[in-house]
Amino acid sequence: MDGMDDETTVFTTLKSFKSFISKPETSQKPPDSSLAHHHLQRQYLQRIEMEEAAEKICSKTHLLQMAQEKQQMELSHKRARIELEKAAHISARDLEREVDRNQELLNRIKKLEEREAETTRTLNEQMEMNKTLKKSLEGENKKLEEKESVISEANKTNGALRDEIRELNHKLKKLDMQLTTQSTDNQGLQEQLELQRKKYQELTMKFQELQATQSLNSDNELKIKELERRLALQEQDSVIVRNMKSELARLPDMERELKRLREENSYLRETQENSNLLREETEGLRRKLERLEKLKEDMVSLELEKEKQATVLQAWENLSEMTGLNIRKPEDLSREIIQIQQREIALKQQNHSVTSSARALEKARAQLQGEVTDLRTKALEEQKKREQQDALVRRLQKRVLLLTKERDGMKAILESYDSELATNEYSPQLTRRVKEAEDMLQKVQAHNLEIEAQLSKAQEEIGTYKLQTQKAEMELDVLKKQAPGAENSSFVMNEEVSSLRQKIEELEAERRRLEDQNNILEMRLEKHNLQGAYDPTKTKVIHLRMNPTNIAKQQRLDEVEHLREECQQLRERIRALQAGGAVTSNEGTLSLPPSQEVLDLRRQLESAELKNQRLKEVFQKKIQEFRTVCYVLTGYQIDITTENQYRLTSVYAEHMEDSLLFKASGPAGGSMQLLETDFSRTLRELVELHLFHQNSIPAFLSAVTLDLFSRQTIV
Amino acid sequence: MSSTLKGITLKGSAELVAEFFSFGINSILYQRGIYPPETFTRVTQYDMSLYLTVDPNLKTYLNDVVTQLKGWLFDCTVQKLVLVITCLETNEVLERWQFDIECDKTITGSSGTREKSIKAIQEEIRSVIRQITATVTFLPLLETACSFDLLIYTDKDQVVPEKWEESGPKMIADSEEVRLRTFTTTIHKVSSMVAYKRTDCI
Repeated sequence: MDGMDDETTVFTTLKSFKSFISKPETSQKPPDSSLAHHHLQRQYLQRIEMEEAAEKICSKTHLLQMAQEKQQMELSHKRARIELEKAAHISARDLEREVDRNQELLNRIKKLEEREAETTRTLNEQMEMNKTLKKSLEGENKKLEEKESVISEANKTNGALRDEIRELNHKLKKLDMQLTTQSTDNQGLQEQLELQRKKYQELTMKFQELQATQSLNSDNELKIKELERRLALQEQDSVIVRNMKSELARLPDMERELKRLREENSYLRETQENSNLLREETEGLRRKLERLEKLKEDMVSLELEKEKQATVLQAWENLSEMTGLNIRKPEDLSREIIQIQQREIALKQQNHSVTSSARALEKARAQLQGEVTDLRTKALEEQKKREQQDALVRRLQKRVLLLTKERDGMKAILESYDSELATNEYSPQLTRRVKEAEDMLQKVQAHNLEIEAQLSKAQEEIGTYKLQTQKAEMELDVLKKQAPGAENSSFVMNEEVSSLRQKIEELEAERRRLEDQNNILEMRLEKHNLQGAYDPTKTKVIHLRMNPTNIAKQQRLDEVEHLREECQQLRERIRALQAGGAVTSNEGTLSLPPSQEVLDLRRQLESAELKNQRLKEVFQKKIQEFRTVCYVLTGYQIDITTENQYRLTSVYAEHMEDSLLFKASGPAGGSMQLLETDFSRTLRELVELHLFHQNSIPAFLSAVTLDLFSRQTIV
Repeated sequence: MSSTLKGITLKGSAELVAEFFSFGINSILYQRGIYPPETFTRVTQYDMSLYLTVDPNLKTYLNDVVTQLKGWLFDCTVQKLVLVITCLETNEVLERWQFDIECDKTITGSSGTREKSIKAIQEEIRSVIRQITATVTFLPLLETACSFDLLIYTDKDQVVPEKWEESGPKMIADSEEVRLRTFTTTIHKVSSMVAYKRTDCI
């Protein structure tokens, strides 16, 4: 095609060339017209044109040559171009490859660089690790040395243990031997057991057969019994039928009799009703009679009572007439009686007061009589005394007279002596004697005066006594007069008595008050004593210095101190805990060790966790087991993809992704719905049949299994 | 007991009374729960089973007090023995068991004897201890931790021995008092009583 194009171009160039050649004569005309105007220019131009034409021809030839060359060149060029294009294509492809490779390489380089960086990092880490490991290695070496020593010890013990193990191995071998013998025995026994089992199975088979036959037997027996019963029933029926027949023969007579009896019956019923009515009537009458009799009796009694009442009333009326009081009713009487009783009570009270006053008066009288007698005796005594005093007075008067006479005599004698002994030398003696006598006289006179005074005193006393006796007699008389009368004096006496009584009462009250006070004071004293009061002047209280109370108090204080410290520590710990976790562990170990309770709880927690872990393991194991069992038994692996969605993959599925999707709806997966999958779309028939018509998922699943299984076996 | 069945000496009386105090104090401590019941052991005394402490500290303390008391009983210088129960939390006196001791000072040394059989005295002591046991029924419950102290009222001129010191009477502010039985050896007469803090709830 390209070649063709080239040729056409060549032709076109040729044509254009020919046309070009033919053209110049026509085209030269306009320049000629210009030449007329410009000769030189024209000549020059002609020449030039000539030259140019020659040149043009030359150039045209040349051009032709060139064109041919060009064509060739173009051809070659085209070929070359085509080749070059091909090469370019190839090279472009190569370039792309190279670029790709370059990019890959760049990526690789980048990756490598990254890796390198990582490796350097890891190297550094490793170096650090190495350092730490070296350190730890050193530590480990030390430990190892220690351990080696331990191991050497352990080796020793190992040796001992090996000996033991050897012995034990011996024993074990023996035991193995025994075990083998036992196992052989066991095998024999197992064989026997097998035999026995077989026998047992046979026996059970037989037994089952027997049971079956027995059940058959029992059924048969039951049937026989039924039949027998039926037979008996039949016989009974036949007897009944016979009887019935005979009875049927008797039926007309019976009917006749029945009619007669019915009539009779109706008649009797009527009579019975009549008799029932009569009986009820009689019953009613009897009851009436009884009531009437009762009423009669009541009436009689009431009449009797009425008569009694009438008599009583009569008596009352009579009484009212007799007494003339205004008594018409018993109330009046009772009022009267109450009045009378009140009056009587008042009178009695009066009587009592009177009698008591009389008694008091009598007592007073008796006292007074006693006083009177006393006074009389006293009076008598006084009289006697007076008589004695009178006698004494008389005697003394006589003596006074005598003495005065004697004194007069003596005086006369003395005077005579004086007159005689005026000049006498005895005069001093005499005067002394006289003086003595005079003294004596004076004494006597004083005595006399005393006696006289005594006498007058005694007389006065007598007088007073007499007066007293008179008074007493007067009083006695008065009392004697009063005694029968009593009434008059009783008031006075009463007043006295009452005043005395009052006094007595007052005194009694005071006494009681004082007694109470005394008691209260004693109680207080007792209470004080009970409360532990003491007289500090006489007593002191002592106790042991180290008594239990002091010790307990001391202990308590110590405990409080200890608790406070602990509290403080705990507070600090809490503060530390709040501040940050890292510090706490140190402080925690520094401070109090965890209490027993905490340890226990931790242990419990650990055990609980362990338990949980074990349970999890067991559950996982069980779940796995369950799943595999389900898989093996049903031929479906069931997975829960999302909530309430279950994916079933058959054992016989052709592809891995062939699965059925079910969605559970309703409570606890009550009903399932098949969701559409790629696989289920291929089972339209089965879905139609089993799910829409039979409404059974298991049947559907089984059908799918069978289908898949058959496909697999065919393959 | 150094006395014969018929008579009793001052020494014998002092020993009898001291022995009574030993058992009485133990009984009170047990009955009032001042010390836990497991620290007590049962013994038979006065024809009845009584509780004695096995706490070593308490034992030595009671021994010290009773020995000293015996001496004073012999000297007839002791007037009262008081067991004070104090609440440890509030330092409040809750109970006060007081034993008034009346000594017959006419008897001195081991000379005179009195006519009273030990059996009769022990009978009286038994009834006193029974009453102490019975008081638990009406005494208010000791709800807080409590401790006890023994006070001895002696004559003023008595020299205070070593380890002893003077103390206050430790009276109860608002108390109820109950007089218990009395027993006498004819030389020492011991009348017992208990005072306890009146509680508002009653």
